[in-house]
Amino acid sequence: MADSELTVTAAAVLTAEDEQSTGLRRTGRFTLIARRFARRPSAVVGLVLLVLLVVFAFVGPRIAQWGYDEPDFLALAQAPSAEHWFGTTTGGSDVFALVARGLGRSLAIGILSSVAITVIAAIIGTTIAFFEGWVERVGMWVLDMLLVIPSFLLIAMIVRSSSGANGWIWLTFGITVFGWIGYARVLRTLTLSLRELDYVHAARYMGVRSFTIIRRHLIPNLGSVLIIQTVLGVVAAVNSETALSFLGLGIKAPDTSLGTILQAGQSVILTAPWVLIAPSVALVLLTFSVQLIGDGLRDAIDPNSRSGGRA
Amino acid sequence: MGRFLLRRGANYVAMLFVAVSATYLLASVFMDPRSNYLSRNPRPPMDSINASLTAANINDEDPLLLRYWRWLTDIVLHWNWGLSPDQEPVASAVATRIGASTQLVTLATVLAIVIGVAIGVYTAIRQYKWQDRVLGGFATFFLVIPTAVLALFVVIAAIYINEALGFRLFYVTGLHSYEGDNPWLWLLDLAQHLILPTIVLTIIGAVSYHLTQRTYLLDTMKADYVRTARAKGLPLHLAIRKHALRTSLIPTAVNVAFSIATVFTGAVITETIFAINGLGRYFVTTIVNNDINGATCIAAFAGVCTLVGALLADLVVAWLDPRIRIS
Repeated sequence: MADSELTVTAAAVLTAEDEQSTGLRRTGRFTLIARRFARRPSAVVGLVLLVLLVVFAFVGPRIAQWGYDEPDFLALAQAPSAEHWFGTTTGGSDVFALVARGLGRSLAIGILSSVAITVIAAIIGTTIAFFEGWVERVGMWVLDMLLVIPSFLLIAMIVRSSSGANGWIWLTFGITVFGWIGYARVLRTLTLSLRELDYVHAARYMGVRSFTIIRRHLIPNLGSVLIIQTVLGVVAAVNSETALSFLGLGIKAPDTSLGTILQAGQSVILTAPWVLIAPSVALVLLTFSVQLIGDGLRDAIDPNSRSGGRA
Repeated sequence: MGRFLLRRGANYVAMLFVAVSATYLLASVFMDPRSNYLSRNPRPPMDSINASLTAANINDEDPLLLRYWRWLTDIVLHWNWGLSPDQEPVASAVATRIGASTQLVTLATVLAIVIGVAIGVYTAIRQYKWQDRVLGGFATFFLVIPTAVLALFVVIAAIYINEALGFRLFYVTGLHSYEGDNPWLWLLDLAQHLILPTIVLTIIGAVSYHLTQRTYLLDTMKADYVRTARAKGLPLHLAIRKHALRTSLIPTAVNVAFSIATVFTGAVITETIFAINGLGRYFVTTIVNNDINGATCIAAFAGVCTLVGALLADLVVAWLDPRIRIS
């Protein structure tokens, strides 16, 4: 980590010299990352797309002429029109309103569970590595044991019993509870070299409390990894949400999510394809934009990446 | 070697026992088979509900630990995995579904590995050239697209092609529909059913092999021994083929070993969309029917597959990697 810091500042000084021959201007770490990020067209496109989607999820329900839970019984399975912008389902629900609402749900579930997964994985992964000895051995055994049964099956079991207005909270809970294990193993491997750093040893011998060391020295050192993981984790969480809801095990009516709309669209694939197309486009834009942002961040933070040109 | 395998095997059996027991308890707490009967109209009498639940050992009025003990002893002593709420034995139901899943997933797994690794090597050698950018863009797109969306659009495309051709080239549901004796027609029929789900599964698998193989090969191409090989005059393609490729295939081989396990457990979404009666689709059925014993049986089978994959991975690494010796 210390090496990469040096590279970044050295590179920063170089660009600063290039740009302003009048005098040295110091470039902060975040300015540099932002600049490297902005230089990648794909990353910027991803960010713009995501902002548009978030705006759509917030503004959509307010400008739609119909609510997602008020079916128009005079327009069943209608093609897109001035009244129903994305058409209606066989039950008469307005697809525009459904997609706006479902996008909000998918975003909320994706972001909440991804952040929670990162927090849990960071704490447990670093703790297991920090204490070494039997804590590490037992901890790794438990982590491996938890990975034996595919997590998708376990999430489906506990989410099945929940429905109604709080169903999405249960789904977020399920994705989080069974989603952090693999990440924790990765972070534990990364911590193995961090725990040998001189200042960690020094802190230990000075009698700093273990959890203070973990919080102050180990977790911040993993900062960039954690940020990238959180962003890319949103894609994974949205995908599992979609899969579960599509199978009818996740979010159920009256609430809706993009996966639930897809499930409704599956049966009318030929007669009313718009029910399928609108949520599919929203989903693909959502996951693709987040992935582009994640890739862009990874290259912007990684000082060795040459993908975007110099510095 | 034998002792290493034995120790690993014993450890894995212990893990499997704890994991499957935990799954059984979790399923018992969260799934409610009684609700199957309560929602029936007319509702059967309480005594009869209780009798059916007790017969399948899923009555929530019995203490949880007692049910767990009965379930465990039945498996250990009689290899009996219990009954579904409809009083059907779950083990035979699982066994018949494994065949369908295997037919579906085997070809797709092989294709995904071959195509994915080939593209991975191709793009790693051309890092940041246009071929790498274009293929990488496609891979990112297919990596993040939800399986359900991909499969449904493949179905739409197939239906349009069928309509344009005027006859049924692709079948979008099931695995078989031919009922004659001619083996060639039977095979053709199977191919017509298999091609769409195979396309979906191959795309999903190939992009992840592509991206990981590219990363691994790029990592080894920067290694000192490859630079040495180049410095002593070896052309780039020879240096990559003789020195870099072999080490970079080790992590991929580990992934392959793990993915063999998934051949038997199938693909939940793909099976649901293409109406193939594999293990994945059966799992959804057990969850919807509150079938505690069935869901646990599938989870246990999936766990066995994972651990067999892990054991295979250990062997593959020992065989391929000259730096690791187990004895």
